[in-house]
Amino acid sequence: MNPAKRSRRFRAWLALGLTALLAALLALQQRGAEPPPESFAGLGEQAEGYTQARPGASLRFPEDHGTHPDYRIEWWYLTANLVDGNGTPLGIQWTLFRQALAPPGDNDPERADSPWTSRQLWMAHAALSTPDDHFVAERFARGMTLPDRRGQAGVITEPFAAWLDHWRLESRVTDPAGDALDRLLVRAQGRDDGHDFGYRLALSAEGPLVLHGEAGFSQKSADGQGSFYYSQPFYRVEGQVEIDGETREVSGRAWLDREWSSQLLGPTQRGWDWFSLHLAGGAKLMAFRLRGGGEEGGDYVSGSWIDPDGRQTPLADDDLRLTPVTHSSVAGRQVPTRWRLRLPSQELDVTVSARHVDRWMDTAFPYWEGDVVVKGSHSGVGYLEMTGY
Amino acid sequence: MLELRHISKSYPTPQGPLCVLQGVDLRLAVGESLALMGESGSGKSTLLHLAAGLDTPDDGEVRLDGRPLSALDEPTRARLRRERLGLVFQQYHLVPSLNVADNLRLQARLAGREDAAWSRELLERLGLASMAGRYPEQLSGGQQQRLAIGRALATRPALLLADEPTGNLDETSADEVLTLLLELVGDSGCALLMVTHSPRVAAPLDRCLRLSHGRIAEASP
Amino acid sequence: MNAASQRTAFLALFSHYRRHPGQLAMLLVGLWVASALWSGVQAINASARDSYARAEALFSTGLDRIERRDGLPLTLDDYLSLRLAGAPVSPLVTGELELAGGSRLEVMGIDPLTLPEGSGFRTAGGTATLADFLQPPYRTRLAPDTLASLTEEDDTLPPLADGRQLPPLELAPELPPGVAVMDIAAALELLERDDLSRLLVAPEARLDLPQPLVRSAAENLAAPGQLTDSFHLNLTAMALLALVVGLLIVHAALSLTLEQRLGLMRTLRALGVSGRALVSLLLGELLMLGVLGAALGILSGVWLAQWLLPDVAASLQALYGERVGSELALPWHYWLGGLAVTLGGLLTAGLGTLWRAARLDVLGLGRAQAWRGQFLRQLRGMALAGGLLWLIAGGLLAWLERQPPAEGLTPGFVMIAAGLLGSALWLPPLLAMLLAALARLLRRRPLAQWALADLQLQLPRLSVAMMALLLALSANLGVGSMVGGFRLTFLEWLDQRLVADLYLRPPPARYEAAVDWLEARDEVATLLPRARAEATLLGSASSQRQPRPVNVYGVTPHPALTEHWPLLASQEDDASAWQAFARGAAMINEQLALATGLAPGQWLRLSSPTGPMELPIAAIYPDYGNPRGEVMLTAPHLSERFQTAPDSIGIVLDRQVAPGAIAALRRDLSQTLGIGGDSLIDQREIQRRSTEIFERTFAITRALNTLTLGVAGLALLSSLLAQTGQRRSQLAPLWALGVSRGPLVGASIAQLGGAALVTAALAVPLGLALTWCLVAVINVAAFGWRLPLHVFPGQIAATLGLAVGVALLAALLPAWRLWRTSPRTLLTEFDAL
Repeated sequence: MNPAKRSRRFRAWLALGLTALLAALLALQQRGAEPPPESFAGLGEQAEGYTQARPGASLRFPEDHGTHPDYRIEWWYLTANLVDGNGTPLGIQWTLFRQALAPPGDNDPERADSPWTSRQLWMAHAALSTPDDHFVAERFARGMTLPDRRGQAGVITEPFAAWLDHWRLESRVTDPAGDALDRLLVRAQGRDDGHDFGYRLALSAEGPLVLHGEAGFSQKSADGQGSFYYSQPFYRVEGQVEIDGETREVSGRAWLDREWSSQLLGPTQRGWDWFSLHLAGGAKLMAFRLRGGGEEGGDYVSGSWIDPDGRQTPLADDDLRLTPVTHSSVAGRQVPTRWRLRLPSQELDVTVSARHVDRWMDTAFPYWEGDVVVKGSHSGVGYLEMTGY
Repeated sequence: MLELRHISKSYPTPQGPLCVLQGVDLRLAVGESLALMGESGSGKSTLLHLAAGLDTPDDGEVRLDGRPLSALDEPTRARLRRERLGLVFQQYHLVPSLNVADNLRLQARLAGREDAAWSRELLERLGLASMAGRYPEQLSGGQQQRLAIGRALATRPALLLADEPTGNLDETSADEVLTLLLELVGDSGCALLMVTHSPRVAAPLDRCLRLSHGRIAEASP
Repeated sequence: MNAASQRTAFLALFSHYRRHPGQLAMLLVGLWVASALWSGVQAINASARDSYARAEALFSTGLDRIERRDGLPLTLDDYLSLRLAGAPVSPLVTGELELAGGSRLEVMGIDPLTLPEGSGFRTAGGTATLADFLQPPYRTRLAPDTLASLTEEDDTLPPLADGRQLPPLELAPELPPGVAVMDIAAALELLERDDLSRLLVAPEARLDLPQPLVRSAAENLAAPGQLTDSFHLNLTAMALLALVVGLLIVHAALSLTLEQRLGLMRTLRALGVSGRALVSLLLGELLMLGVLGAALGILSGVWLAQWLLPDVAASLQALYGERVGSELALPWHYWLGGLAVTLGGLLTAGLGTLWRAARLDVLGLGRAQAWRGQFLRQLRGMALAGGLLWLIAGGLLAWLERQPPAEGLTPGFVMIAAGLLGSALWLPPLLAMLLAALARLLRRRPLAQWALADLQLQLPRLSVAMMALLLALSANLGVGSMVGGFRLTFLEWLDQRLVADLYLRPPPARYEAAVDWLEARDEVATLLPRARAEATLLGSASSQRQPRPVNVYGVTPHPALTEHWPLLASQEDDASAWQAFARGAAMINEQLALATGLAPGQWLRLSSPTGPMELPIAAIYPDYGNPRGEVMLTAPHLSERFQTAPDSIGIVLDRQVAPGAIAALRRDLSQTLGIGGDSLIDQREIQRRSTEIFERTFAITRALNTLTLGVAGLALLSSLLAQTGQRRSQLAPLWALGVSRGPLVGASIAQLGGAALVTAALAVPLGLALTWCLVAVINVAAFGWRLPLHVFPGQIAATLGLAVGVALLAALLPAWRLWRTSPRTLLTEFDAL
């Protein structure tokens, strides 16, 4: 059996396993209820026993850079649009996901002091895109709480570090007054289909943290479902990318998303289309569409307009219009790889297209994640993530 | 020499006992030849088997040399057959894996009374001398029957019992074998009881009895 | 021909069996035993392969292992440091748990999140979700056959001996037998440990390991299937023998039914049935019988396998440490294969019959009696074919002599098969010659002469059964001598090699303390430390040899040991070899010598953690029962070069020690040093265990052998029964000529007993030749060691007796029937047609 097939089998198993677990929980709690359409990675399922994200809470740093173990899911999500010395556009992704396997207080192990007993599952994705290729790797770990050393995966705040194995996102900030995320170092190495790839990038923020939605509470459906969500979209990047032993100096822009929730999607929402765009002139645009879960079963559209100085304006579907233009066949599915975005309040009307249609992340929870080019009233680059296809 | 008194014999069949012989009387003197004729199923062969001590009658008595066979145990009857009787069958019943000479001598040897000169003479007179080393399957039907006659006579029996000895042969061979048989029987002075259904075969014999439905129907001189 | 007329013709042909049900029974019995033995063994093989496949999927899908050089367990720190440096290692903890009721279960704790993709651990799925597996109360995954061996009830796991419970059960048929897999957190908790047994890593992963750790390549860990191949080849060869013997019965029955139906077939031909139609009718009949026989046979084969499997499983566990499930696991192709082999064999056996039917001469009625010429032609053909097979066997032997010994397994079996079949084919011509000669000799004894002549007549029919008997007897004798010889050699060797009275395996941390303590004891005469390591035998400049993994074994060359340790070859004499050994030379086991051609006086190159080492070879020693190559050094030499401490100590006790000393020593050890009683093994215990292993190893061989002999007896009986009618027409005239039934029965029994005795007499040299092939060719190829050839006169006498006994047993029923035959039945033979 070839490795690719093997890994597919395992991934399918893992995906099935997680989904089945959550489905089972759901079934216990909603016995007799009509089964709703299945949402991406089970994120729409009810999660009783977990702390829920509610508006009105205020975020505190650096504490909120760290983990929120009583929430079901959480991520540290970095994407970067880079160019090498020859002007070839490259994209990287570094993501650390945390998922709780059981609500707090539930299932507490008999031998709680065993480092192996954990209710947290960690998953990391690293990807590197070139105009022709897309390299993806993923790693897993169980959470470990150790008194005097780092476990296999985790996030600490002083100094800030998020890691799984040797894939690390670490703060380089020495000045205690500055935000820990202002200066970061990110690194990962992986192997995909016989190719070694890796990157080591230094990130420097040229603007402030941006809290989305209502002071960091980002509503995800019409019935109030949501998450805590903030970003650092102002990174300037310098570093090296390595493919099959060949190192290239790169530079560009990066965007870090932080989000945690116990109920990211409503039970009827199938997935999302998410944009993070660096526009010429320094403005940033975050926009997403949650398919299903809007008013009267429609899509739920939201976003943030971010001025070059970091001022954020929440966007709603009366202003923001996201329209798929072209679908491509990717990994056996129809995925919209060309979009029209309109934001009349900012006189924005652009086409956002994937540099390469095949940016499929064939991971345990498969999704589409890739670099995009913005053309039209504004120009720019960015990243598009699409799930649930 | 051979005497059958009031012999009755029946066989069990699914339809009840089948009576084959009913009170048959028969005598055969020393050196006498008798043809036993009758339709198929008239009891000819049964009578022959009883005379040879191969089978026992339900009623009546078979005497050989004045001794009742029924009084003898099987080994004694077997010895009597070896030493006093010669048997010739329609199917020859030679031993296929013995050669002509050994087949001819088989009974004489079993009886412990082989007479080498007589065996040689028999081979000569039966016209088998040139094929003494051959095996039965290499002989014609007539030759095989001549060999069977030789085997029966090699012990110098007192009584030769023959069951349709020419039944499997064509007319010419049959005549030839019969002539030879009678000639040898005459020379050796033994008595002959021959079962046949052919008047032609029966004709040269001293007497002829006809069996019909298990009884002696008629006798001819 | 239309369907109706075909049906009519078929019914006419088949009506023969209504008159001769014995022949039908013989045909079916032949098919039945042939396919039962064959499919029984194949069922065992299939089950074992399934177990290996499961074991390989779990243990050796190319996963390398990482352990500490000093044999201590790994810590969580070791693991985390490697992971955080990027090394894709995965932790594994193994241990044994005692269950209530006394059975033991091997437990493997894994971390599914870090296992290399595609490894068997990960794919050993089950239906429980990953979250269930990772979370309390966790899951116990094991194969259904493991569960069946642990508990009588259907789906409940017994508690542990100390009353704790295993995690909830999750059946995973793809797991190897005898192993439970669970999350590492659960396993550590149950085993009450907090360290790791070892780490696993994909072989393609490049790693820089810190010095205390050592990586063993997956390819050095021999795959179970590879090791046990030879064992299964042996089984298959035995099954093939049984198949041949069974097919001989079939062949005999087919020829008989054909012969007796020749007249009928001629009549059918004369009535307008074409030759082709006749052949296809016969073929249809064959297939029908074949399917029936195969079905019966396969079902009994499964039953047979179920009966034998525990022994096989025990043998494999003992020989190779491989677990084989005690329940049959049969893939679909097993059933098809059994059917195909049976039908194929039947068609091969029936080919002659069909050929003759196809060439049937419509007018040949009168020649049915011409048996003699036919038989002589048949004998010539047999002699010719037999000679040809002997040529092949001889050629193979000559070729094998010039091959490296380890490569001759399949050719060796082919050689044996050719030799055996050739000899079997020679049997009828030899018997015929002997009979003819004896008949000439005994012409003054008419009954004897007749009996010999008559036996000649029976020979075409009987010869097949006699051939079967010859094969079975030779195999019995050959295998019996081999096993007996092995037993002698092995036990003697064991006696010589186990010189210490006790063997202690202290925990590494307490090794030094144990040595000091033991040295102070009065009753201890000598301590013989032993050490083990793994290394790679490197190719040398002079040879093109491939590097191969070897075990390195360290012993203490104390006179107590060297005086008894047997050597197979040394450069000068044993004493100087041991002196050289004590000075730093190596000794190698016979397996390694045979596999590599290395000899005393040559040098070998060995990898070691301290760099490659060049060692002169002082001697070769026998190492029965070890499937792998081994290099022996002194224990201090090994410890120094491989940086590993001795792992066990042989304790030679003072001769004047009181009988209770061992128990006292055991008690004191556990009291003063805290070393458990399990770590101390009595020499007698090892002897007992080894002997038990030995007996089990050959239990299956013996069982198959006995069965084959039984089949040969059956062949004899069935061919005798089948020709009862024919016999009557041979015996009746003699009876009429004045031989009473008593002598006739006596003659019949003497005929058969004599034939069997001659067959057995031929089986003796053939059996000895077979023994030689087994010890000198097969054993060397299969196990890597050669055995001295032992001849057991008592066994030969027993074989002769057995043959006559089997023949007489088979003759008894026909003889009894003849004895009971009424004169009237005999008289029917004289009824005119």
